[in-house]
Amino acid sequence: MKWLGAMLAGPTLWAVVFVVVYAAHGIICADGLSPSGTSQTARITLMGLWCLGLLAFWPLFRAVPQGVGLRAQLPRAGLWIGLVATVFTLFPVVITSSCQL
Amino acid sequence: MKRMLLILPMVVAGCGGPLSTLAPSGPVAADIAWLWWAMFAGSAVITLFVLVLLVLSLGQPRETAARRWTHGLGLGFSFVVLSLVLGAGLVVGERILPRDDGAVTVRAHAYQWGWQFSHDGPEGAPVESTDLLHIPAGQPVDVLITSEDVIHSFWVPRLAGKLDAIPGRTNRLRLMADHPGTYAGLCAEFCGSGHARMRFEVRAHAEWPPELSEGPND
Amino acid sequence: MTDATFPSDAARIATADLPRNPAQRALALNREMDAVWSNDRGLWGQITSVSHTTLGLRFMATAFVFFAIGGILSMLIRAQLATPDGAFLDTELYNQIFTMHGSIMMFLFAIPMLEGLAIWLLPKILGTRDMAFPRLTALGYWCYLFGGLIMLTALLFGVAPRDGWFMYTPLSSATYSPGINADVWLLGVTFVEISAVAAAVEITVTILRQRAPGMKLTEMPLFAWYMLGTSVMMLVGFPPLIAGSVLLELERAFGWPFFDPERGGDPLLWQHLFWLFGHPEVYIIFLPAAGAMSTIIPILCRTRILGYGAIVAAILGLVFLSFGLWVHHMFTVGIPHMALAFFSAASVLVAVPTAVQVFAWIGTMWKGRPELHLPMYHILGFFLTFVMGGLTGVMLAIVPFNWQAHDTAFVTAHLHYVLIGGFVFPMMAAITYWMPLITGRTRVRGLGEAAFWIILIGFHGTFFIMHLTGLMGMPRRIDVYPDNPEWIWLNLTSSIFGFAMTIGFAMFALDMLLQMTLGMRARRDPWRATTLDWAMPLPAPNFNFASQPTARHLDRPADEVMLALARGEGVLPGAPRGRREFLVTSVGAARPDHVALLPGNTALPFVLSGSIGVFVLLMLAGLYALAGAALIPVAVLIWVWARGLAPRGALDGIEVAPGLTLTVHHHARQSLGQSGLMALLVANGALFASVLFGLAFLSVVTQGPPAPLAMMDTTRALWTMVVVAGALLLGMGAVRGEAPIWALTGLLANSVALIALLAGLLPVLDDPTAHARDALRAVMAGYVGLHVLVACGMAAFVLDQHRRSEIDKLARGAWPHWRLWQDFTTVTTLVTIIALIAQQGAA
Repeated sequence: MKWLGAMLAGPTLWAVVFVVVYAAHGIICADGLSPSGTSQTARITLMGLWCLGLLAFWPLFRAVPQGVGLRAQLPRAGLWIGLVATVFTLFPVVITSSCQL
Repeated sequence: MKRMLLILPMVVAGCGGPLSTLAPSGPVAADIAWLWWAMFAGSAVITLFVLVLLVLSLGQPRETAARRWTHGLGLGFSFVVLSLVLGAGLVVGERILPRDDGAVTVRAHAYQWGWQFSHDGPEGAPVESTDLLHIPAGQPVDVLITSEDVIHSFWVPRLAGKLDAIPGRTNRLRLMADHPGTYAGLCAEFCGSGHARMRFEVRAHAEWPPELSEGPND
Repeated sequence: MTDATFPSDAARIATADLPRNPAQRALALNREMDAVWSNDRGLWGQITSVSHTTLGLRFMATAFVFFAIGGILSMLIRAQLATPDGAFLDTELYNQIFTMHGSIMMFLFAIPMLEGLAIWLLPKILGTRDMAFPRLTALGYWCYLFGGLIMLTALLFGVAPRDGWFMYTPLSSATYSPGINADVWLLGVTFVEISAVAAAVEITVTILRQRAPGMKLTEMPLFAWYMLGTSVMMLVGFPPLIAGSVLLELERAFGWPFFDPERGGDPLLWQHLFWLFGHPEVYIIFLPAAGAMSTIIPILCRTRILGYGAIVAAILGLVFLSFGLWVHHMFTVGIPHMALAFFSAASVLVAVPTAVQVFAWIGTMWKGRPELHLPMYHILGFFLTFVMGGLTGVMLAIVPFNWQAHDTAFVTAHLHYVLIGGFVFPMMAAITYWMPLITGRTRVRGLGEAAFWIILIGFHGTFFIMHLTGLMGMPRRIDVYPDNPEWIWLNLTSSIFGFAMTIGFAMFALDMLLQMTLGMRARRDPWRATTLDWAMPLPAPNFNFASQPTARHLDRPADEVMLALARGEGVLPGAPRGRREFLVTSVGAARPDHVALLPGNTALPFVLSGSIGVFVLLMLAGLYALAGAALIPVAVLIWVWARGLAPRGALDGIEVAPGLTLTVHHHARQSLGQSGLMALLVANGALFASVLFGLAFLSVVTQGPPAPLAMMDTTRALWTMVVVAGALLLGMGAVRGEAPIWALTGLLANSVALIALLAGLLPVLDDPTAHARDALRAVMAGYVGLHVLVACGMAAFVLDQHRRSEIDKLARGAWPHWRLWQDFTTVTTLVTIIALIAQQGAA
């Protein structure tokens, strides 16, 4: 049943990165580290976490089995879902104001 | 799109009213109204497109590449459209955020069921008013929103979006009225049996702070 | 499909070649099955039935009754809003009615309806005879019915919940909502949700372990993929709501201030917990409907589904992404723009897998030749409605637009487009499609088509202009609008079309009734399907298949397959041992694994849910001490329930096909019970995580008044925790011993942990009503204590099994289950201790 677990790896990694970045953002804004919303340290921390999360996909892509058939394709699809979701849902760390309401 | 622009003023006329988001009277509400019209036009086109595909499907079987549907339309098409919409939303969202630019600050305190407003008077002392908020016209205003009891929501549709009044928190909403006048507002979050009656007015003044002839508590 | 990367699979039995059983006389075989599988006679037979066919249909029928009640409430709302000064209802009653309309449609119609469809259909389409845990199906039904009745009774007596179906606190707190109205919602809905969790556990296990031999996971009907996604989402999505409801009820009943900002709580915690459930909920409702569409469309288009793999990937994406959008219900509560942007992006992104499915369905229609039968009408209604609902959903995901549209009639319009488009139309397609299998009759022509058109026109007439009403500023949940003449024509139009839609639904119901009573006998396999659900006599018998299908029966014309199975040529033919049996297979390739013996008809589920109902009613009455005592019969009945699984009669291997003898489940390495407990622990883990989230949220984000100095004797608390952790670790070791002496050790270890909690920790805990921090500590201690108590019970149960000599070399009894529970308890306890120390350290 390895492939079933492998299928969940990509989306799970997205979920973890999403939660970590969102939590870090919550902690940063709650501590008032970035009262005016443009603190560079805050943004760099969040971007760093985001990039780490994206890098974590690298070993997964290396480990996923090649081949045809759904048992190989679904884990690969899972990784792409996770990667695209991580890029798409967290790219706002680059462009939006961090703690401004 | 061009046609859309011609029809727009007519449609807007029919969609007016003291609480209409489609009759904006300030830059924040106007930005959002434009966003709406653009998304509405796009949605109409996409709905038509899907309906045409459906009508065309009612016929003889035919060869069709699966990937054209799942990858081409399902992934590619939707992804491009959605990225554009999200981008526009984030740009507008950033534009209308409150900034530290020395905007006039007024206060809105919600309770079951009414609003206690205050602004800084000529001498700097706060001037209180009930169910009537005074703001300057033609310049950005930040409203500090708080609540006495349950959750309410401060909304003046022709000036800006809404923001909740939550006990234990202070929220800051940026709005601006282009011209002096009176604008209708209401509580948008259900707050109990007086919810429907929890209306208020915003009066935008040309000079600021205003001379309030009626007294502070009108 | 290649097995190249998994050589071990190929080496095992090639299931495609399971030998055929000799043919028997179909009629005799049918009679033999009927004697064992049918319900008892009369009303008593309905109370004791554990059949998935009976209960699935009853779930759906009950849900339809609640749909009618919810619909009548919506007509009262529309009557009130038809004029600006509606004097039809007073505000208090109006508030109860819209709250109940939402709550009924969501918790008493949509979720039970999809559970009913899954429970009724899954065993049929997978080729098995019942759900994994038949008594649990019945328990779920009775909990649903009793919970629903409690809520309806409250409405009749004018004490129904009135704070909106999402029950925002502090409005729903004891201060602003005195009386039992809010308690009815919190306790009633939680009672009903027992059925959701039970169904989720069963559905997961049934799909993973009961597919026909040879029906690989990668080739199973898409409906099963959809339901697998749904059930996993239910396991993870419902616990936050249950956690939130328990916390809010604790606050209302005992003054523990989780949501009170003046004592360190935060009203936003409720919103987070509620929408952590509430948004996945939308997809929990949509996925089964989409599963029905993916089943019906290819068959009515005489082709195969286009893009099977892409659809499975889309389901995978939806299941995960839908847990990352809950904050889009909270865009106006004052959250920083960057966080809003995360959730806005996720909300937009979730439209991609939805689009993949919609276009795959349309592509399927291009590929085939759509036949315009009645189910296809409803499918076309789905497309028109759901596409528009999806597009307004994307609009609402855009933060600035949401700030204007949130809490207005625009949102009301959007959610009805999504729920009626994405759920009600597909369900009507599903019911009209499967009705011949339910009743064995064909429908009366004409009425169904008329009902469809009236519903479609009525729906769009009601809700399309409601978008405009919202944009013109009309908020949700107001009962009068005397100052806004510009809304009058909009609301009047909505009301008129709303009544038309109601007439349409009444005609739909009439059509079903006529079909049930007057319809002509349907011929077998009326749609010329290739799925197993039609490979059985009409109407479907309780046992579905006289012999169970194997690989050679998959993807074949259902009519042919039906004859072979009725003659007993499949595996495990008939009921020669006079007991209910079905085949259990392996998760991936569906290799035959063992035979499960099922319990027969019993009133135990009825009695157990009744005793839970007594507890709920005592809680509602505020008799908390008595309510606590009412848990004793519940515990006793659960013990009786577990005893009911004890082996009776011979446990010899069973020859399911010539040359293939399988063990019974008592001797299986991995029984369905273990799989079910694992699924339940996933839900339990989600519940624990929800409480941890609450702890983190209140400790980090909430800016309340500082907590009073902890009076707690921290040294003593710390030592207690060390003792508890040590005892539980010892229990974890003991549970691996699998001998009577180790069972005794485990029982003692868990008892020591329990006593340490009661005697060491309980006396020194700070007053939980003083501050949210102390309340959370008390809750977490209670969570651990409850789990240790259950572990004690399980250890005692195993010890009792040894005493009765039910455990031997082959049969492991309840050891594996206890082990899962003990490990879970120990891990969550250790995490709790670490979390509490971290929280203390941070403060």
